[in-house]
Amino acid sequence: MPAPSAPAPRPTARETAISLRGVSIGYDRPIIEGIDLDILKGEILFIGGGSGCGKTTLLSCLTALRKPLAGSITIDGVDIVDSDDDAIRSVRRRFGVMYQLGALFGGKTLLENVRLPLEEFTDLPDDVMDDVARAKLGLVGLGAHALKQPSEISGGMQKRAAIARALALDPPIIFLDEPSAGLDPVTSADLDAMIEALNRMLGTTFVIISHELASIFAIGQRFAMLDGARRKLVALGAPAELRDHSDDEWVRRFLNRVPTQES
Amino acid sequence: MPRRSKGADAPIAVSEGAGGVLIAPEGAIDAESIGRVRETLERKLPSRLAGAVTLDFSKVTHLDASGVSVAVFLFRLAKGAGVGFEITGADKDRRLLIDLALRGQEPQEPAKAPGFVREVGAASIAIRDGVVDLVRFIGEIALVCVHLVRYPQHLRVGDTIAAMARHGSDAIAVVGLLGFLIGAIIAFQTFDPMAKYGAKLQVADVVAVSVVRELGPLITAIILAGRSGSAFAAEIGTMKVTQELDALRTFGIDPVRFLVIPRLIATTVVTPMLAIWASILGVAGGYMILGAEGFTLAQYTDEVRQALTVGGFVQGLVKAAVFAILVASIGCLSGLRTGQGPGAVGLSTTRAVVAGIVAIILADSVLGAFFYTLGI
Repeated sequence: MPAPSAPAPRPTARETAISLRGVSIGYDRPIIEGIDLDILKGEILFIGGGSGCGKTTLLSCLTALRKPLAGSITIDGVDIVDSDDDAIRSVRRRFGVMYQLGALFGGKTLLENVRLPLEEFTDLPDDVMDDVARAKLGLVGLGAHALKQPSEISGGMQKRAAIARALALDPPIIFLDEPSAGLDPVTSADLDAMIEALNRMLGTTFVIISHELASIFAIGQRFAMLDGARRKLVALGAPAELRDHSDDEWVRRFLNRVPTQES
Repeated sequence: MPRRSKGADAPIAVSEGAGGVLIAPEGAIDAESIGRVRETLERKLPSRLAGAVTLDFSKVTHLDASGVSVAVFLFRLAKGAGVGFEITGADKDRRLLIDLALRGQEPQEPAKAPGFVREVGAASIAIRDGVVDLVRFIGEIALVCVHLVRYPQHLRVGDTIAAMARHGSDAIAVVGLLGFLIGAIIAFQTFDPMAKYGAKLQVADVVAVSVVRELGPLITAIILAGRSGSAFAAEIGTMKVTQELDALRTFGIDPVRFLVIPRLIATTVVTPMLAIWASILGVAGGYMILGAEGFTLAQYTDEVRQALTVGGFVQGLVKAAVFAILVASIGCLSGLRTGQGPGAVGLSTTRAVVAGIVAIILADSVLGAFFYTLGI
């Protein structure tokens, strides 16, 4: 008789993993202003919006690579905008990131790429690290390619390897920047299933920057939409609910994939 | 975060029966416990697997993505021993995670290291291919040059002038400094030996001849290889990686005409000028030492004038032009032949510099012998 899955560390519904208050992002001038958003523990949140609306900039702020122009971002109670480097380093161990182009380390095999965080932050024996890294690669469908170099695999496979590397330390929060872009529909669906299974079983929080409507509706529990023209967060809610009943025409159009000339 | 847990054994029941080995862990198998679970498991497993391995998850209370690695370990162990592997007691979610993780995990035959003979053969073929590629590339350049003679309006004049500025005038300071120091060093090192023969002033001859004929062009070309050859390889290599070269070709634009010729013309024009500049400063560097020894500027320049010949000067210019053609061609070729992946541009750049310097020295030897034979 199968054991019931995981009395896992699945959090109660309303605990907050990441909190944004009055966050403005941009470069010389703001792209998006006044973002108030609570990302809940154990949810799959998609962040979307038109091209150039600041999605990736927001991700840089959430991962403490860039400071917002204004406001505060709190991860597990630590304000990453005003904290010192030590506190930020400690917070960074609590999340994994997959970048848009993979950002795998060249000259290392996929196995070595995934092993790297394990080598730096754990004291596991070599063979166990290998198996943990192999398992993470297997989860993203790259078990048979563990010994290949990033240059020997396609762009889509590099992205999947980058997800495996983000999973290396089993962080409670994972940020994915455009994970499905460039993947075939079957691989993309496999990836969605894997994300959903990890989320359901482990309570891992996923923050996913994506335009991929199929993925948003398949596994997204909430969708936050940025609008560069109005420079604000214009919608937050269940994707299907927003698609069918949002008060905002741009949000409905975006989620229903309606061309501009039909509006 | 996965760690090696110290302390007591993990609760794992391992039993051997007629059907094989049944492994039934209890409690959590996760990032925290994975080290201890593996230690215990490896100790309890039989030394030789005689039958199928069954991993029973029915008493596992918590399983995470690191914990799944236990299944990967046992799966690979079973496949390596040629026995079956089975998962039991896992619900739908766990089954999905495990099935995903086990995909493609069959142990692979390690790639056989090529033997010595095969390696030598492969290296020889690679060298031959490299030479053939270079010759073909020179042929391509020649064809484009013929085209440009017929249609000079197709030369990208703006790009050529920009390349002259970047690879010529921007190098004036470093070339001049090195030329000056080389001249001074030659004078300094030869002064005492020449003084023994009472030929202190003839140090000026040594400096003038060696700098103008040989070291001025050589130093200039080596700096060119380091500054410009590497830059050509990196610029064009990056364009290759980002598919800009493909974009040019699909527009019907020949990358050799568009990218290589402006750089080639620019370096071929500016390098002899830089070599003259290096030679002038080299001769000046020599005077710094002789001046300090009490010789007047007039004595020094008279001696230099007697030592230099038009043939020697031309020899220096021809060498500089040939070196420039080699460095620019090798740099651009390395860029055009850049492979895929993040390390590819770095490899091309290294290849451009190393091959460029080797080519300069080889060409210098050949040209030296050639001019000697001509009596220049």
